[in-house]
Amino acid sequence: MAPEFVESRRRAALEVYESQDVPTWRRSGFWTTSLRGLDIDTLEPKRYEPGLPELDLGDDEHSALIVQRGANVVHSDLNDDQIVVMPLEQAVEEHPELVAEYFGKRLPIEDDKFAAGTAAFWSGGVFIHVPKNVRVEKPIQVVWLIDEPGTVQWAHTLVVVGEHAEVRIREFFLGGDFEGQALHSGAFELYAESGAQVDLAHYQDWGRGDVYDLSTRRVDVGRDARVKWVPIHLGGHLTKQTLDIITAQPGSDMRHTGMYFTERDELLDLFTTDKHEAGHTTGDTVWKGALTGESRASYEGLIHILPGAPEVDTYLQTHQMLLSPKAKGDAIPSLIVEVDNVKASHGGTVGELDPEQIFYMMTRGISRAEAVRVLVEGYFEEVIMRLDDPGLEELVRRRISEKLAGAEDQVREFIGERAEGR
Amino acid sequence: MTLEVQNLHVRTEDREILHGVDLVIRKGETHALMGPNGSGKSTLANTLMGNPTYEVTEGKIILNGEDLTEAGPDERARAGLFMAFQYPATIPGVSVANFLRMAVNAGRDEPIKVKEFGAMLKGHMELLKIDRAFTSRYLNEGFSGGEKKRAEILQLAMLQPDFAVLDETDSGLDIDALRIVSEGVNAMRGDERGFLIITHYTRILSYVRPEFVHILLDGRIVREGGAELADELEEKGYEFVREEVAASGA
Repeated sequence: MAPEFVESRRRAALEVYESQDVPTWRRSGFWTTSLRGLDIDTLEPKRYEPGLPELDLGDDEHSALIVQRGANVVHSDLNDDQIVVMPLEQAVEEHPELVAEYFGKRLPIEDDKFAAGTAAFWSGGVFIHVPKNVRVEKPIQVVWLIDEPGTVQWAHTLVVVGEHAEVRIREFFLGGDFEGQALHSGAFELYAESGAQVDLAHYQDWGRGDVYDLSTRRVDVGRDARVKWVPIHLGGHLTKQTLDIITAQPGSDMRHTGMYFTERDELLDLFTTDKHEAGHTTGDTVWKGALTGESRASYEGLIHILPGAPEVDTYLQTHQMLLSPKAKGDAIPSLIVEVDNVKASHGGTVGELDPEQIFYMMTRGISRAEAVRVLVEGYFEEVIMRLDDPGLEELVRRRISEKLAGAEDQVREFIGERAEGR
Repeated sequence: MTLEVQNLHVRTEDREILHGVDLVIRKGETHALMGPNGSGKSTLANTLMGNPTYEVTEGKIILNGEDLTEAGPDERARAGLFMAFQYPATIPGVSVANFLRMAVNAGRDEPIKVKEFGAMLKGHMELLKIDRAFTSRYLNEGFSGGEKKRAEILQLAMLQPDFAVLDETDSGLDIDALRIVSEGVNAMRGDERGFLIITHYTRILSYVRPEFVHILLDGRIVREGGAELADELEEKGYEFVREEVAASGA
């Protein structure tokens, strides 16, 4: 038996899970995210023997690597004795007081059915603790792997970064090109204590299998702490995520820079909040997306400044680029400000590749396909550069380039139609 | 070796803009194409490069004996044609240096050696008085008018085309910038290259003296002559040419 604080949360969450119907998310306009296609009763939490699967994580070096395949952790290694990186199941036994202080603090079980399901059923899990004043050079890598259909992965990652500690964390969500369904229902929470410096990246590439990803990720930025968060979405059959970053104490600062590239019949539904609970906090959010195939992508980004949080300075911008006649998307920035004396602004664009840019490049001898590739990569470069991690940057650039090569015909058709239609 | 335009008729969606233009430029020659706003100068430049906005309904574009009328812009570039844009596009996320390398390599079988590229770039930048830091900026992003034109001439110098069309390269340049750009163009002139300088005004032609001048009016070339024709135009203006054409009943 796990400690009571874990078990009681599981029990309460199970009640919520069982009392709620499978949700359908609707927003104004044409947007609906439905789980009609998901046959959840056929999925099971598959367990695997320990062993390190073959992975491409961009960087070869790490201070710690922990891999969960299906329902259990199959690999964990640690090259830095100052930090704790272990399965959350193990951490609740070995560090119960520390875990209890933070566990679920920003993840209420009532959020929705799948948040409750994750709280009730999580297994394996990841716990990271970087103690006060510790500076970790090499990144900590966390991998969630689903490489077989019929799998459900209830995931929970808890990260505590102590006062004035410094760390880079990369969490990967990787799948295979299998046929059939799988579900990743994930919870992520990170607490950056006073003066901590966190460089966080999420890299999602679920592959061609029908992986559903229903996740909530929350980052809590303490006094004078700084978090840079770069989520990269490169694939998933259906992704419905809530990504929140909360500047919770005066002086906290965040930079949230994300991107997505959707293809085939993928559906991506992202809701992010830049939430300011304390005054004298700063934020900067930029999200960029590109859509091919018949994919649909919706990004909604909210700046929320609470009462009692004056002198906030924050900014949100979102851009979306359509690369196929059949893709559909929207990008909605919004703002709730409940206090005077703040600086908050937002902007959004939905557009296409500019035929003038393509013509210009072609007059220099560059082929149309190459021009499109360069323009799309250039468009994402602002986000990719923020990774500030050459190995991971290369991985992202390579994947974008592969996806564009796969979409070349439809992009050409689309650009051609637009050029003639003018 | 020639760039030949034969009886070129060009239209956009709404109307025909060029009504049969003939032009022959041999290597080693510099031609000026002059005309007032709306005469079809930029249409001709864009059509030469294969801008899909313009449709050729009649006539041909022939470069060194090869019919390029139906060719894509990239094929034309690789065949030796270049255009310096009046309003070059911004290419975010791509530095000047990377763009130049891509363009240079597009015209070669083997990629250029890093050292060779660096030396070539350095030489041309000095000539055009371009600061080193310039090459790491994204192409045309936040560039001033003068910087954009210099970046166009830098591309011309790096790509060494057989024929170059300069579309209103002089517009928006102050006197110093015009002189630098003109010196850059003059350094490129020689037996192995032909130029078509498209301009509304005569001032660039006092720095880059053409051997031939053509006047385009309402989509037709109405007068042709030597450099003295530009001087005459400077003195009398386009209205004079228009009246003259009307009087001749053309």
